[in-house]
Amino acid sequence: MSRSPMVCTDDMCPVCKTIRYLNKDMEFLINPECYHSMCSNCVNRLFNDGPNQCPYAGCHRTLRRKGFRSAFFGDLSVEREVDIRRRVAAVFNQAEDDFETLRDYNNYLQMVEDLTFDLVSGNEGKRRNAEAQLQQWEASHKAEIERNRKAGREADEQARRRLTAEKEAARQRRLDAIREAEEEKRERLMSREAELDNMAAPEGQRVQLKRRGQTSRVETAMNTAMATADVGKLSIRGLKEKKKAPAPEGPYDPFGGMDFVPSRYKLGEGLSHPQIEKYRYDPGHTTGGYDFDEYTARVMFEAFAGMGVFIEDEKEVGIGLSASQVASIGAGIAAVGDKMELD
Amino acid sequence: MEFNIDDLPVLFPYPRIYPEQYAYMCDLKKTLDAGGHCVLEMPSGTGKTVTLLSLIVAYQQHYPEHRKLIYCSRTMSEIEKALVELKELMKFRAQRLGREEEFRGLGLTSRKNLCLHPSVKREKSGSVVDARCRSLTAGFVKEKKEKGEDVDVCIYHDNLDLLEPHNLIPNGVWTLDGLLRYGEQRKQCPYFTARRMMQFCNVIIYSYHYLLDPKIAERVSKDLSKDCIVVFDEAHNIDNVCIESLSTDITEDSLRRATRGAQNLEAKINDMRDSDEKKLQDEYEKLVEGLRGADEGRQEDAFMSNPVLPDDLLKEAVPGNIRRAEHFVSFLRRFIEYLKTRMKVRQVISETPESFLTHLKEYTFIEKKPLRFCAERLTSLVRTLELTNIEDYQPLQEVATFATLVATYEKGFLLILEPYESDTAEVPNPVLHFTCLDAAIAIKPVFERFSSVVITSGTISPLEMYPKMLGFNTVVQESYSMTLARKSFLPMIVTRGSDQASISTSFQVRNEPSVVRNYGSLLTEFARITPDGMVVFFPSYLYMESIISMWQGMGILDEVWKHKLILVETPDAQETSLALETYRTACCKGRGAVMLCVARGKVSEGIDFDHHYGRTVLCIGVPFQYTESRILKARLEFLRETYRIRENDFLSFDAMRHAAQCLGRVLRGKDDYGIMVLADRRFQKKRAQLPKWINQALLDADTNLSTDMAVSAARRFLKVIAQPFPTSAQEGVSIWTKADLAAHQEKMAHELILELQAQQAAAQNAPRVVEERPDSDYEMDDDDEAAMMELGA
Repeated sequence: MSRSPMVCTDDMCPVCKTIRYLNKDMEFLINPECYHSMCSNCVNRLFNDGPNQCPYAGCHRTLRRKGFRSAFFGDLSVEREVDIRRRVAAVFNQAEDDFETLRDYNNYLQMVEDLTFDLVSGNEGKRRNAEAQLQQWEASHKAEIERNRKAGREADEQARRRLTAEKEAARQRRLDAIREAEEEKRERLMSREAELDNMAAPEGQRVQLKRRGQTSRVETAMNTAMATADVGKLSIRGLKEKKKAPAPEGPYDPFGGMDFVPSRYKLGEGLSHPQIEKYRYDPGHTTGGYDFDEYTARVMFEAFAGMGVFIEDEKEVGIGLSASQVASIGAGIAAVGDKMELD
Repeated sequence: MEFNIDDLPVLFPYPRIYPEQYAYMCDLKKTLDAGGHCVLEMPSGTGKTVTLLSLIVAYQQHYPEHRKLIYCSRTMSEIEKALVELKELMKFRAQRLGREEEFRGLGLTSRKNLCLHPSVKREKSGSVVDARCRSLTAGFVKEKKEKGEDVDVCIYHDNLDLLEPHNLIPNGVWTLDGLLRYGEQRKQCPYFTARRMMQFCNVIIYSYHYLLDPKIAERVSKDLSKDCIVVFDEAHNIDNVCIESLSTDITEDSLRRATRGAQNLEAKINDMRDSDEKKLQDEYEKLVEGLRGADEGRQEDAFMSNPVLPDDLLKEAVPGNIRRAEHFVSFLRRFIEYLKTRMKVRQVISETPESFLTHLKEYTFIEKKPLRFCAERLTSLVRTLELTNIEDYQPLQEVATFATLVATYEKGFLLILEPYESDTAEVPNPVLHFTCLDAAIAIKPVFERFSSVVITSGTISPLEMYPKMLGFNTVVQESYSMTLARKSFLPMIVTRGSDQASISTSFQVRNEPSVVRNYGSLLTEFARITPDGMVVFFPSYLYMESIISMWQGMGILDEVWKHKLILVETPDAQETSLALETYRTACCKGRGAVMLCVARGKVSEGIDFDHHYGRTVLCIGVPFQYTESRILKARLEFLRETYRIRENDFLSFDAMRHAAQCLGRVLRGKDDYGIMVLADRRFQKKRAQLPKWINQALLDADTNLSTDMAVSAARRFLKVIAQPFPTSAQEGVSIWTKADLAAHQEKMAHELILELQAQQAAAQNAPRVVEERPDSDYEMDDDDEAAMMELGA
């Protein structure tokens, strides 16, 4: 691959020396074998009868007609670089979400860039090394590459769909706006005519023209805007989620962490009352499964059961006041409010 | 003059004050107290600047917070004017208070205006001065010097290092001129003195760009504290400034030069790899670690800073594929080549940044993220390479700026590629516009960062448009009218010629002979009756040229020539200033002159035609923008979709603010007088969009005149206004002495009391219920408590 980044004179074919003055629609083609450019006439002339050698002096590559295409870039060395990048990108197609830390991702990016750089501008040895590395990577990461390719395609597809949807929505909105403006114009015209008619007609028959449907139209416009906003959901691709060690399992809790400790009082040990003390050892009450402290606990609970509930709050405001009283309260509040604003 | 507003003592440097100035101060103080933003419109020529300054300085000095004032204006001459006003004010204060206050006020402008270096200051272009200055003052240059190498340095800059860093210049107010003189005396650089002293100033006066353009703001205005008071004066064009600060244009030529820059960069890298590998390695290590040298980006000698607003900066390590210098250069080259290819297309393309990035990725494998870091990476590389001839890399910097912006912003921006300059052009001259459509983006950080932002101008109507477009809320929004003892200006709308044919510059009729002739006769009539100077505004250069040549054919210019000299504004600044000079001379000599200018040109924005320099302003046609511009179309669509501002509303708002700006040119004070003629059929409907002070003076009878009626009205007006009018007749009405002011304040206080009393009276109707309710609550509580006590006992 002899690298001679021929400065592409856009006006003369380096092979047949035709100039653009003589042939207005001259088109230059290149072959990715050696990136030597020549006009389409030369390509037809030289390669129509099968493969032939590149006409450039010192370039002994055999080229085929099929391989010729027009270059995207003006600078052919960039064209070649991009071709190589295309090949590399097909293999090294991992995305940011395949890595756990940004640093790993950046190192990966640099590795790829180094390899590409060697392929593009390294000497013979480096190039061969890089080529080998590329092939090795392709062999060892086959499944991953395939998966990423699919994911990438999907993302592209989604992005494209979103773009077209947005464009369509914008077009729709533009049309709506135009229609709205036209309608308004017509309405204005009509109202003017109506006014004139009114003036002609006997007085007392003024007709108020209302703009109907205005709000509903705006609403629908808003709705369509909303709808387009969530057409293709935004796919945000950041770093991969880090693998976390699972949290150690605690003891089983049948209530799922609910707290039964009373908040307003504290149950002391051995609460008692002389009246009930006798039952503590009474076999009738100490049957199996019954804890005597349960009794005191329940008594305490019942004693505090109503606390923190204020009936005043539950009552509706103004109950018991007459209607006129309510009105005067309202006026008073309004007056005070006014004053505060003015101050 | 000395007076109090509430508890704030204000020192006003003139013996008399205008009523609107007092009202302006009151509203300003309200805003500052409340801590919010405001939009204020005050007629031109009523001393806006001095009012603003005297109130804010009084506010600063009286309250213990000493909030700093950042005063932004548009042009260099306005900055200088404000500085002079401030100086006068401080002199007055010192006189009154009997002592010099601890106060420092400085103005900042570009290096070009403040440079003292003998060879650098001779450069013509601002960017060359910037680049050369950097190459003399960069940090590494000094290091080299210290190592004993032979490098050029700037003695003015280096002298600053010998001074105390917080006291480079004594207290006081320094005009730009004064600063230059002081710098020359002490052999110290005025530019860097101002830059470095900014933190220690009470008042800073500089151009909008230092606050709005992220490329500069990040470096210059970063350290200003949150409680600063920010004032944008002459802010009627602020939305355009915001938009320009985030837009870039790329041409084929700049791409070619960028390629050359990239090649140079590559050569430099190779050189350095052979000679000083370690430096490159150091940079690389730093990038791997994601370290940013402490405040690297905002060093004053930095090559360029990030064009992106601080909120949108990605704070992480530079992506791996542009970490190495050679990788980055190849990356840049690929990007430039791609742009070159795109430029070859021969049809207009407008696309969103997103679709541009997709296409870019498809063809060059450039991802969005490294593109986003382009500006930052280039800065770092330039610093590492210690490049001195920075001006060669300017185009490369433009490309990097573009790259970073396009990769950062998706919404509110658009790429437009125009292959031909005009629709009829044959030779392609492609330009890639990257335009910002949303003015709110650039100004958002300012509103978020500073608690009080004041937006003010002589013509900023309709007021509610600005908060809408710029996305902020106001505390006070006020337009003041002009109090006048006599009607000193006469606004008129002329809709018909003397032959009753309607006149308009709308596209269909603008070249019709009858319209042109009617405009011509309007001009000749007014040239005949107007004393001294007269200014005429046209909607565009193109139309001005065509109508002048038609007038020449009709012999109208000869007719005008009998009464006045005719001078024309051109796009060339030098020619225009010469024309203005001649115009002034002709007015002074009594020959009289007509200045023909364009409503969006230089003359309409910055030049005052006070007193005899302008007695009539004639606005021919509504100065609409060129609506076929693709950038404008895109912006209109954006405004409609985002802020629900309709195309026509915006266009007419924009046209009217320029028309008002033109009208304001002739009236520059209360003793001034002038006639304002709006000559277009369409002005009749747009009357409401004029500033309040003009609109109030415009009588209903004067809104639909024909040429002859307008002329007779003007003649009558001139006859009356030319009578001698002593200043004493204005006193108490349009000019207040201290006694008048005191009377007004008393009246206001009295009114306030009356109002309060009225409220109280209103409240008295239902006081019992209001007061009883809480009482009864308390009583219940007391009862409860007593019961508890009893229980306890």
